[in-house]
Amino acid sequence: MHNGNAHEMGRLIEPGRVHRDVYTDPAVFELEMDRIFGRAWLFVGHTSQVPNPGDFITTQLGRQPVVMTRHRDGNVHVLLNRCTHRGAKVVNERKGNAPRLTCCYHGWSFDTDGRLVAVPVPEGCAADFDKEQFGLARAPRVGQYRGFVFTSLSPRGASFEDHIGPMKGNIDDLVDRAPAGELALDAGMHRYTYAGNWKLQVENVLDSYHVPFGHASTVNKQGVQFARREGDQKGATVVETEKKQTAASWRERKSYIVGNGHGWTSNTTLDEGKRSSPAFNEYKRVLAEKVGAARAAEILTPRLHNSLIYPNMSIMGLNIHVRVIQPIAVDRTEVTIYPIRLVGAPDAMNFGNIRLLNVTHSAASFVQTDDLEAFVRTQKGLASRMTDWVDISRGLGDEEPDRALNATRALATHEMVVRAQYRAWLGYMREAA
Amino acid sequence: MNAPAGDAAIDRARIEEFLIHEARLLDDRRFRDWMALFSDDGTYWVPSVPGQAGPFEQASLFYDDRELMKNRVERLEHPRIHVQTPPSRTAHLVGNLMIETVDEAKGEYAVSSTVIMVEYRDEHQRVFAGRQHHRLRRDGASFRIAHKRVDLVNCDSAFEPIAVPI
Repeated sequence: MHNGNAHEMGRLIEPGRVHRDVYTDPAVFELEMDRIFGRAWLFVGHTSQVPNPGDFITTQLGRQPVVMTRHRDGNVHVLLNRCTHRGAKVVNERKGNAPRLTCCYHGWSFDTDGRLVAVPVPEGCAADFDKEQFGLARAPRVGQYRGFVFTSLSPRGASFEDHIGPMKGNIDDLVDRAPAGELALDAGMHRYTYAGNWKLQVENVLDSYHVPFGHASTVNKQGVQFARREGDQKGATVVETEKKQTAASWRERKSYIVGNGHGWTSNTTLDEGKRSSPAFNEYKRVLAEKVGAARAAEILTPRLHNSLIYPNMSIMGLNIHVRVIQPIAVDRTEVTIYPIRLVGAPDAMNFGNIRLLNVTHSAASFVQTDDLEAFVRTQKGLASRMTDWVDISRGLGDEEPDRALNATRALATHEMVVRAQYRAWLGYMREAA
Repeated sequence: MNAPAGDAAIDRARIEEFLIHEARLLDDRRFRDWMALFSDDGTYWVPSVPGQAGPFEQASLFYDDRELMKNRVERLEHPRIHVQTPPSRTAHLVGNLMIETVDEAKGEYAVSSTVIMVEYRDEHQRVFAGRQHHRLRRDGASFRIAHKRVDLVNCDSAFEPIAVPI
């Protein structure tokens, strides 16, 4: 059991290894709820999920239920979804539209900006009862970038700009691919869960090392993955079959870190311009018409994809989606995958992207399911008390500066990004909330 | 169009037998034979929200045409499919069969039934249940599946991995 003092937390993380308690100790999990999820900038939702006044979505930030609303004046609010009277969760639906948010218990009702507007049997209120004091609490800090809404549940700590700033380019990298320059997260969601710690999924989103082996069942005898995307002539080559080894092109992929636990991977030879199908060609035409041929060519050679915005959100740029990783217990995690519609792109292409996620990232997909099996088996293995340490030392000392990107670079099959995540983890966990 | 009164009982018996046969192929893990029940333009859809309007505008648990079905079956046969090591064992139960409509011109039947699938794998047992909708196309003495849709009662919940079709 851990009491949370800084020295003790520091002993859990070493330069190339992580103590098993980080994944298995319920006391560490409770500390994470306070020290990470109680104050880090967390993704709440995208403004396209609440396009009209009265629209709302609900979600959970660590242990805190929240509701994100669109008020009549067009502003988006993040409110704590807990009645200020006796504490009931006010909004129970995952999404909807309502002129007021009314608690099911005694009928207190709140405007979509959180103000308390009506209390049944008002003559019973205490003499000095002031409705102004009983609005739904607003999240202490809210920041927005290109429709992505983030919240910190603490009034203190790194500013939105300091935390998210280094990753704005990664958000741009995806949003700019929409001919209209905006995204819509309005194509439903995939939800999956696994019996394992949340950080196993966080580590995995930037893990290029596992692909040839972990996803062997998606690779054919020629070492090529099934054709995945609209306009791709074939899938990625991940294995050189004669040599029985990970393909050179795969090994050359790079990963990058920029502090705060964030990172991304990059296929530096990726050229989306080569994709060709009637829908994709029409997309390329519309994009070039909007932004010009030169800018379209830049946009079609994306370099900042498969991004992790620490602690628990990723933007995947190849099979495009946004992913949110929600810790439920030390050994239980729920993940939500939002397909993305590129506004202004042909319907057929957006539909293709949405369909692709069914086979890559749904609970019934070809790809994600083998990852989940790996997470579950890792959690089982880590129950062993005979070995305390998890090794994350691949490429330790081989990191190099990338001055053009103002980042640190390594091979994507190394574990620099995981080490960066645990440096950030320790930064939060050392300090009492 | 309503079913012609004369041979409705025969149709019903054949359809029921066909659906039971389909369920048996899945339970026996004869996925390639299961796939062969589908017409060349056949599709298999498991929506992710109740009453989902279509498979294109939003996420689905499954929406396979024959090509994706083939990828899925090849993966299920792959020796290193980790999420099927050990493999799932399933028991399907199909009942409450209703022939909704008959299109004589196309030789197609829209059929709904309740399906329950119990799945056991790696020390865990769970239950899937819902209403399934088949569009069956007459093919000689039997049928091909032109479209199969399974509306699970918990379609919008967070699932542990689903490796085998329902």
